[in-house]
Amino acid sequence: MAQVEFRDVSFWYPMSDGAALQHVTIQIEQAEFVVLCGPSGCGKTTLLRHLKPSIAPYGKREGQVLYRDRSLAQLDRRAAAQQIGYVRQSPDEQIVTDKVWHELAFGLESLGYDQQTIRRRVAEMASFFGIQTWFRRSVSELSGGQKQLLNLASVMAMQPQVLVLDEPTSQLDPIAAGEFLQALRKINLELGVTIILSEHRLEEVFPLADRVIAMEDGHITCSGPAREVGDFLSRGQGRDRMFEGLPAVMKIYAQIGTGGMCPLTVREGRLWLQSLLPPRAAVTALPQPAESRTHPKPVLAEAKDVWFRYSRGGVDVVRGLDAQVYGGELYCLIGGNGVGKTTALKLLGGIYRPYRGKVLHRGTAMANNKNSLRVGLLPQDPQALFTEITVEEELFDALGDSRCPDREKERRIEQMLAQLELQALRRANPYDLSGGEQQRLALGKILLLQPELVLLDEPTKGLDPFFKAVLADILKGLAEQGIGVVMVTHDIEFAAEHADRCAMLFDGQIVSQGRPRAFFSGNSFYTTAADRMSRGVFEGAVTYRDVVELCRQNGI
Amino acid sequence: MPREGLGDKSSFSSFHPLVSFAYFAAVLGLGMFSMHPLILALTVATGAAYTFLLGGGKALRGALLVSLPLLVFTVLLNPLFNHRGATVLFYLNDNAVTLEAILYGLAAASMLVGVILWFGCFGRIVTADKFIYLFGRVLPSISLVLSMCLRYIPMLRQRYRQIAEGQRCMGRVYGARQPIRRLRQVAREVSILIAWSLESSIETSDSMEARGYGLPGRTSFHIFRFTRRDGWALAVIAVLSAVATAGLVGGITEVYYYPSVVCTHRLTDILPVAAAHLALLALPIFIDIEGERRWRKWNFEM
Repeated sequence: MAQVEFRDVSFWYPMSDGAALQHVTIQIEQAEFVVLCGPSGCGKTTLLRHLKPSIAPYGKREGQVLYRDRSLAQLDRRAAAQQIGYVRQSPDEQIVTDKVWHELAFGLESLGYDQQTIRRRVAEMASFFGIQTWFRRSVSELSGGQKQLLNLASVMAMQPQVLVLDEPTSQLDPIAAGEFLQALRKINLELGVTIILSEHRLEEVFPLADRVIAMEDGHITCSGPAREVGDFLSRGQGRDRMFEGLPAVMKIYAQIGTGGMCPLTVREGRLWLQSLLPPRAAVTALPQPAESRTHPKPVLAEAKDVWFRYSRGGVDVVRGLDAQVYGGELYCLIGGNGVGKTTALKLLGGIYRPYRGKVLHRGTAMANNKNSLRVGLLPQDPQALFTEITVEEELFDALGDSRCPDREKERRIEQMLAQLELQALRRANPYDLSGGEQQRLALGKILLLQPELVLLDEPTKGLDPFFKAVLADILKGLAEQGIGVVMVTHDIEFAAEHADRCAMLFDGQIVSQGRPRAFFSGNSFYTTAADRMSRGVFEGAVTYRDVVELCRQNGI
Repeated sequence: MPREGLGDKSSFSSFHPLVSFAYFAAVLGLGMFSMHPLILALTVATGAAYTFLLGGGKALRGALLVSLPLLVFTVLLNPLFNHRGATVLFYLNDNAVTLEAILYGLAAASMLVGVILWFGCFGRIVTADKFIYLFGRVLPSISLVLSMCLRYIPMLRQRYRQIAEGQRCMGRVYGARQPIRRLRQVAREVSILIAWSLESSIETSDSMEARGYGLPGRTSFHIFRFTRRDGWALAVIAVLSAVATAGLVGGITEVYYYPSVVCTHRLTDILPVAAAHLALLALPIFIDIEGERRWRKWNFEM
C-alpha cells in the first residue's frame, strides 16, 4: 500500500490555458525521502499543495490523489490537519504567534488537546530539535534558520505521518540550510516519517534522497535514485534548464563522460577524480587572468577605517572596515550570518553613517546627506519596493519624479522591459510574479534611476539556477556600462563563477579579498564544492568549468 | 541589588499570573478609593520603593518626572476653583483660598501618584504574555489575536525600515521644508507596507489552516503552573485586602476634608487596618528582597 499516490492527475488553474499538472502519476511509499526538483513554475508547488486538502489549489482537476488507498479529498479535516504536515518557504510568514512555546503548541491547540498532552508533546519536540534554550523567547528575536526550524518543529509536534516541504531552505543561508536538512534527515531516519521535499539546493539534498523526481512544465520527466536522475538531467532533453542546478560533482562527471559510477558527494567525487588522474597530473592550474585591463578602473566608493553600531550602547557591528569599490566590477561580500555584511553594504552606499572613519564617494566625503554618487539599493525582499498594480506602472513609478517628457519615459521603460525580459508580463501584478521575476522587476525599478553604484542584498536567495544565470548576465551587463555592483551573498558558487572580486567579512572587517580563483583556493572550508573536490589534485579550480577544463588539458 | 533593578528576575514575577493580577487589582482598587493621609503616604512610599526595586533609579526618576508636576499642578489648581473649607488663608481676586482645599488637592494628587507608581509596577510584573493568558481564560480568541498582534508589530517595524531605506535610495528624501511631499512619501511607504503585509498574511493564514485552525474544540495552551506557593500567596493577598477593604467600606479610614479636616476614627482604631494595608503593599517588596537574599546566600554556599 502506497502512503501517497497520484493517479493520472491533471490540473488547470482558472482562467489559464495551459495545464499546471499533466498526467502526474507517482507512488510514494511509507518512510520514503522524496526530493522534487525542477525549474521555477514547473508545477512543484501545485503538486505539493494537492497533498494538503485545506490549502489545495482551486481549479479544474482530473485524476485522483490517494492517501493510504483512500481519496485524500474524503479524509476528514482533523485527520488531514494532523497526519499531513506542510512547511513552506518563508520563515517569517508561517509563524502565527509571538512566543516560541506558543507557536509549538498552536497546532495542538487547534486539535483540541488538553494542557497535559500539549505540555508533553511540546517538551518532546523542543528537545528533539534542540529548541529548549530559546523556548521562552519571542519569535522576533530568532534568526531565519531558527524560525524555519521552529516552523518544522511546530508541524512535527502534531505527529504527522507525511511531511510536505515546499523549498523550505530557499530563504536560509548555507549553514542554517544544512542544519535544517539534517533535522529532516533525523525525522526521516529516527521517526520514519515520509518526506516529500521540493528544493533547488540539489548539492545537499541529493545525498539524502531515496528518490528524486524531476518535473518540467507540469509533468514528470524522470523519477528514480539521485544518480539516475542526475544522469538523465545532464543528458537528453531535460538538460537545458536543470543542468546548472545539479551538484558540481555530477556536472563534472557528466562533462567528462567516462564510465564508472556517478559520484554524488564531494567525498565520492574526490575519489573518482583521483582514480581518473595519474598521481602527478601534468597540468594542475589554469593560468590566472590578467590582473589589470588596459585602462584602470575608477574608484567609486571607498571605506576608510569605518566603525559602526546601531545604537549608542550597542556593540560595534562593523570594526575598522577598509574597502574599495571600482566602477565596472562585480564585488561580492561573503561571510557567515551576523558578521556585518549587510551593514557594510549600506555603509558603502552611504545609507548608514559611520561613527568613526570615512566613506568616500568618488574621492569626496559625503556632506549634508547629499551623495555625490547615485546609489541604488535592492532590498532583500523585492516587495519592499512595489507600489503599483502592474509591472509597467511599477517601472513608471520609478520615473515619477523625473522631468523628462512622457515619450522619453515610455522609451526607457520599454528598453528596461526588454533588458529584463519582462515584456510578456507587463500587465501582470508584481505580486503574481515568481521570486526571480520580482527580483528582476525590483532591479529594473532601481536601474531606471540610472545609479552609478548598485547595492544588492542577497539577490540570489530563492532563485532557481536558471534565474541565477539570467541575473548574472544582467549584472555583467551593468558592469560593462561602468556601474559598480556590490552584492552581499551566501551563494559561494555564484560568487566564484561571476564575481570580479570577492571579500570575506568576519567580525565586522574584511579578512581576505581577491579575485575568485585566488580567493577561494585560499579558503579550505568556505569554498565551492568543485574546489573542495579537486583540492590537492588541482590548484585554484573553483568552478566546475575549471575542473572540467583542467581534466581536458590532462587528456581526459 | 543590580542598579537597573530586578526587572523580570524579580521573585514576585515568578508567581502565577493570577496571583500577580489579583494582587495589583487589590492594590490599585484600594488605592483609588483611599483618601486617608496615612494610607496615601504608605501607598506612595511603597509604590516608589517598589518601582525603584524593579526598575532601578531610572524607572523611579521617570515615574517622578511624570507625577511631581502633576502633584504641584493639582495642589495649586484645586484651591483656585474650590473655595470650600473653614480655614481661609488669604484672598485671591476676592476668592478665598482655604487650607482644606490645598490639603484636599494634595490628597487627591497623592492618590493619583500612588496609582501611577503602582500601575508602572503592574506593567513590569504582568507582562504581555501573562496578560494574554489571563484574557485567554475568559476569551480564548481574543488572546490569540493579541498574541498575533504582538508577533506582527516587530515584523512590521522591520519591514517598514527596509521600505524606507529602499525609498531613500530612490532619492525620495524630503526635508522639513517640503511638508506636503514628505507627507505623500510617508503615505506611499505605508501603502507599500500594507500591500506587502496583506499579501504575506495569505501565507500566514495558509499556515494556520494547515495546522488545523478552525477545527471545533480548540484549546488554549499556556506554560504557567498554579502551585501550592501560588495558593498561599493568593490566600495572604485575600486576607490582607479583605481587612483593608473592610476598613475602607466600614468607614474606619474615612476622612472629611470639608469644612475642616476630620478623621472619623482615632489613630488606634485605624492602626490594624493600616497595618494590614501596609502588609499588603509591602508584600512584593518583602518577597523580592527575601528572594535576593536567598540567592546571595545560595551563591555563597556554592
